[in-house]
Amino acid sequence: MIVWEVFKMAANALRVNKLRTTLTLIGVIIGVASVITIISALDGLQQSIEAELDVLGPSTFMITKFGIIMSDEDFHNALKRKPLEFEYLDAIREGCDLCTEVAARAFSVAEAKYREKRMREVYVAGGTANILNVVDIELDQGRFYSFEEDQTRRRVAFVGPAITEELFPGQDPIGKEIKLNNVKFEIIGIAKKRGSSFNDNEDKVIFIPYQTFSKYFGDRRGNFVIFIKAPSIDLVEPAMDQARVVLRAIRHVPYDEPDDFGMVTADAVMAVLNDVTKYLRLGLVGISSIALVVGGIIIMNIMMVSVTERTREIGIRKSIGARQKDVLLQFLWESLILSLGGGFIGIAIGVILGKVLISLMNFNMTPSVSAILIGLAISSGVGLFFGIYPAMKAARLQPVKALSYE
Amino acid sequence: MALIETRDVWKTYQMGTVKVDALKGVSIAINKGDYVAIMGPSGSGKSTLMNLIGCLDTPSQGEYYLDGDRVSELEDDELARIRNKQIGFVFQTFNLMPRATAFHNVELPLIYNGTPKDLRVEKVTRAFAAVDLTDRMNHRPNELSGGQRQRVAIARALVNEPSLLLADEPTGNLDTKTGLEIMHFFSELHRQGNTIIIVTHEREVATFANRILMIRDGQIESDEVVSEQEKVQNGSKL
Repeated sequence: MIVWEVFKMAANALRVNKLRTTLTLIGVIIGVASVITIISALDGLQQSIEAELDVLGPSTFMITKFGIIMSDEDFHNALKRKPLEFEYLDAIREGCDLCTEVAARAFSVAEAKYREKRMREVYVAGGTANILNVVDIELDQGRFYSFEEDQTRRRVAFVGPAITEELFPGQDPIGKEIKLNNVKFEIIGIAKKRGSSFNDNEDKVIFIPYQTFSKYFGDRRGNFVIFIKAPSIDLVEPAMDQARVVLRAIRHVPYDEPDDFGMVTADAVMAVLNDVTKYLRLGLVGISSIALVVGGIIIMNIMMVSVTERTREIGIRKSIGARQKDVLLQFLWESLILSLGGGFIGIAIGVILGKVLISLMNFNMTPSVSAILIGLAISSGVGLFFGIYPAMKAARLQPVKALSYE
Repeated sequence: MALIETRDVWKTYQMGTVKVDALKGVSIAINKGDYVAIMGPSGSGKSTLMNLIGCLDTPSQGEYYLDGDRVSELEDDELARIRNKQIGFVFQTFNLMPRATAFHNVELPLIYNGTPKDLRVEKVTRAFAAVDLTDRMNHRPNELSGGQRQRVAIARALVNEPSLLLADEPTGNLDTKTGLEIMHFFSELHRQGNTIIIVTHEREVATFANRILMIRDGQIESDEVVSEQEKVQNGSKL
């Protein structure tokens, strides 16, 4: 009851000082917006990467030239490595009896065209005919290409739903010819939708036979990945060991040297990713928090000025019966309104900026609930922390001194 | 029992390294329904005494009883409650909130004691009727004349029906004619049964009261009853 009346007094005081209120709000908005931008951009980045990794099933692992790179040194060493060869697939099938499925895939980005319609960036994946058995992509319509079609380098394409939606709205794409970097491919099948409405990257992929890919898109062995499926999750480790023995032999790695290739499970990538983003988060949030502290100091400064300026008003209020807590609450409300008001606007700006930032990096994101909650928590925290001292100063004023203040 | 009773009250201020005694053992008693003027030159301690009586300050030594409560022992928030309920202040400089309407100024003491909205409106309206300013309720102080502002302040002082009305130089910022009107209004309030204490340095103002306490150098110098004859002479008789 009194709390509500005192709240109205506080809101009124802020309304009367419009310019000062606006300037203070801007301080808080900048602080909150910068923290939220960073948090939501990082969240978006992580979401995107997690979604990509999701393609891997839990009993599947990958062999790549680079593996997980943790430092510049790792990177430079990995650059010197021999590329992985397509022939390894047969060797692994031969020497690893726990490798129930051995597939390979290389990636490129191309322009897709159908008549007048075009998509400037689609992912073209050159995959072996059994690739759908190791990655989590399902057939929706038509069919996938066969082993024979791969061997004979047929120009056939298995396309993601985002591509058919864009290039063939309201049409049946099967049997139609699509141009990838001006080379004609016949569409033979469509994949099931996987991505969310916010992230359709995974649905923008076009699979073509591996041999066809190496003919038209070059021998991109740098991003050549071998996918291997173990019979069960428990057998992933032993299967990795068997495959490792085969690869070391075939690549002539001396027994006292480390692997000159990388073996990666989805879990391992996630663990590294979490580790990296944790520090990234701490660092970036720490830096952007400086703006928030500045915003808080602005509030405190303004409230101190306000208390001094309104000393007489405080004296009057006390002389007609305002208790310490009434005065305290009034000034605390003022700083809370400022910080929460700035917080709400800052969150909105931060979420939008975060989205822009993440889309500039070619990822998509869902608005992060955690960013919004964190934003509200920190802005009310800032309001309380920086508002309590001026409010206490106001509450503790002696009525006689306050009344005679000129 | 007296409404106000002070027993050997001292107030000492620390001015740098020097101690200054503003009040040196003041003992007074004022009954319910009295109309008392506290007079004295500036620096005599009359404002200090008024602040103590008004519970804006506490004595350094001695005891003060207001309506039987030993006020000199009370905490800040209890003093605030007494200022809210028992005392109505009228200041020389009016001390109205400049940005609030007259209505809100008078409503404020009721807000601080948690009076519900509908009852507040009723009491505020009644207080404005009492000072004959109903048509100015929604004006801001800077849209009112000095006399009107002082009447808003009186409405604010009366709104909680206090047991004591305390006026500090209430005519100090008013012209003679308006000052007289305000003093006549105080006399009317006294006639209606209010206990009033005014602090002034002007004899003409003081004679509106029934009793004058002269204070000098922090001590009560004299305590006299104002004769009917002097009231008539000064035109201060109702």
